[in-house]
Amino acid sequence: MEGLDFNRLTPSIQICNVRRAAFGSISGTVETREKALKILVIEDDATTGPYVQAGLREEGHTADLVTDGREGLLQATAADYDVLIIDRMLPGLDGLSLIKTLRGAGVRTPAIMLTALSGVNDRIEGLEAGADDYLVKPFAFGELAARVAALARRPGLQEQETVLRAGDLEMDLIRRKVIRADQEIELLPREFRLLEHLLRRKGRVQTRTMLLEAVWDISFDPQTNVVETHISRLRAKVDKPFDSELIETVRGAGYRIAG
Amino acid sequence: MRQSLWLSLLFVAASSISLGITYYVAHGAQRQAIEQSLTQDMAGFRATPSAAALAALVNAETRETDPQRRLLSYRRPGGRVVAGNAAIMQQQEGFRVVALGPEPVEISGRFISLSEYIHGGLLTVAQSAKPLDDLRQTFLWVFLFSLLPATALAMLGGVLLARRSARSLRGIERTLSALTSGDLGARVPESGQTHGDISRIGRSVNRMAQAQQQATEALRQVSADIAHDLKTPIQRVAVQLARLQEVPDLPQEAQVLADKALEETRGITSTFQALLQIAQLEDGTPRSRFEAVDLCEVAATFAEIYGPAAEEQNRTLSLSLPDAPVTVTGDRALLGQLLANLIENALRHTPEGTAISLSLRRDGAAAVLCVRDHGPGIPEAERQKVLRRLYRLERSRTTPGSGLGLSLVAAIASLHGAGLHLSDAKPGLRAEVKFAF
Repeated sequence: MEGLDFNRLTPSIQICNVRRAAFGSISGTVETREKALKILVIEDDATTGPYVQAGLREEGHTADLVTDGREGLLQATAADYDVLIIDRMLPGLDGLSLIKTLRGAGVRTPAIMLTALSGVNDRIEGLEAGADDYLVKPFAFGELAARVAALARRPGLQEQETVLRAGDLEMDLIRRKVIRADQEIELLPREFRLLEHLLRRKGRVQTRTMLLEAVWDISFDPQTNVVETHISRLRAKVDKPFDSELIETVRGAGYRIAG
Repeated sequence: MRQSLWLSLLFVAASSISLGITYYVAHGAQRQAIEQSLTQDMAGFRATPSAAALAALVNAETRETDPQRRLLSYRRPGGRVVAGNAAIMQQQEGFRVVALGPEPVEISGRFISLSEYIHGGLLTVAQSAKPLDDLRQTFLWVFLFSLLPATALAMLGGVLLARRSARSLRGIERTLSALTSGDLGARVPESGQTHGDISRIGRSVNRMAQAQQQATEALRQVSADIAHDLKTPIQRVAVQLARLQEVPDLPQEAQVLADKALEETRGITSTFQALLQIAQLEDGTPRSRFEAVDLCEVAATFAEIYGPAAEEQNRTLSLSLPDAPVTVTGDRALLGQLLANLIENALRHTPEGTAISLSLRRDGAAAVLCVRDHGPGIPEAERQKVLRRLYRLERSRTTPGSGLGLSLVAAIASLHGAGLHLSDAKPGLRAEVKFAF
């Protein structure tokens, strides 16, 4: 803790609003298996579309693939899906108009937009059109899967938990206390938020970019391993002094606290 | 506004001059008529044979003459009036005229007189200048009743027109500043008036804005197309590589190669992304989403984010902030990215273990955000070049990075009207971004 004194620093740091509406709180009940989701993929690219579809099926979801915007719109309104995955540039009807039309028609199915466009305004445009999340190409499948899982959770929010638990760790959100194996762990405000975020999504993978957006409100991709270093600090406090590791690294995807 | 006042003034002046000339001519003619009549009178009196006959004639005429209009006076050298209806005495400042009659009455007003010695006595014939006065009065009335209301009307009209022009001009001004600040949808409001220079200019501005918007739109479309056409194949490569990794019993070597190739695709994308973003920043569009941003909060957040990464390299990342918030108008995400790029630049291009300091200070009417490192710095001759896209210092060719970090910083700074200044911190590089309030 040389140089940068966080205790002096942090009072001036405001808890930033996550641009995207807060993810739902996950109840503390143990849930090892994800619920199978019904997903519509609207993507015209002959490689990406089938790949996404196959990946989702492998995860145990039902995935339909449509390659035309108009057809996608019809399909999305006709059947009851849990999540829509929509490419921004589509033949027939572009992704932005598709989402606008859907939202205009009162269809509130969570939608994630896939796009080659990554400018600040492109992203905001996508979210303003009614998309719930925005993923820039090229993306790793793990990233998409984690975001789809997060989106599917959004409706039907569980009541706000005030005490989160995982293994022998207990996090009291009201008294701002973290106790593991009867020992109190001192966390800095941002470490607390990071742990809370992972605990609330117990059993679910959180990717680097998802953590950056939710915990630090950053929507660009830093070239430095900032998330990794924060996680390793958190681990040094939460996991190292104890027997088992709570925070898992999921190769090629992100981090997770086992549920 | 001022122009219209000047115009009204000019109008008044021109009208006054023409009215004045008319008055002068009319006045001259009237006076000449009076003088001629006096000369004729005098000629008639001169024709009399003797002083007695003259006196008789004067007296005869006097009876028919109103002393208010016409004066006749004939006096002997001694000074006594022998005939006439008035005694005219020259005094210090003018004449004193007393009408002679049963009751001597003093007469006032202006008269035009002609005097001549005839038969040893001085005969003075005078006519009232009242017609001249009347003429003057008439012209005054004409002036008051025609010119003044006309002037007032002209001024009022001028002022109204000027205000209307000013309003139109303000509309154009507002539109132009909205256009330069990135709101390409801004247009000069159409006034009901279809003629007139200002509305013509307004229409030209709108046409220009339309063209600019179309050009930007076309550029965006091209960028979007390129982005799509290039990123989609990159996405495919990433997909194939991911599939390759899933092949059962893949040799370790192949696994490592696939990992490396995936990492490369990420590198390509981020370079590509940065290039597109710089292009987008340069067209100014993000300015339409500006809001108040506290630089203290941004600096504190990013110092905190990069703290552990710096510590991992045995560095200290120190932060110095002013007590009060420093608020600028801008895009928080972009300002964060600016700071992140400067910090990452320092982390990447200076040896492990050297300190980095981040500071924000007020400097007169400006806020200066500064990232200073203790590395080798940038030679003076290269400092401008490193801001160019894809430019890299010779010694940095082997370190990772796209050569776009500082160009992006420069583009974000310029979007915010801020200046990026690189200098020698002896040792190290000092990168300062100066925001004017």
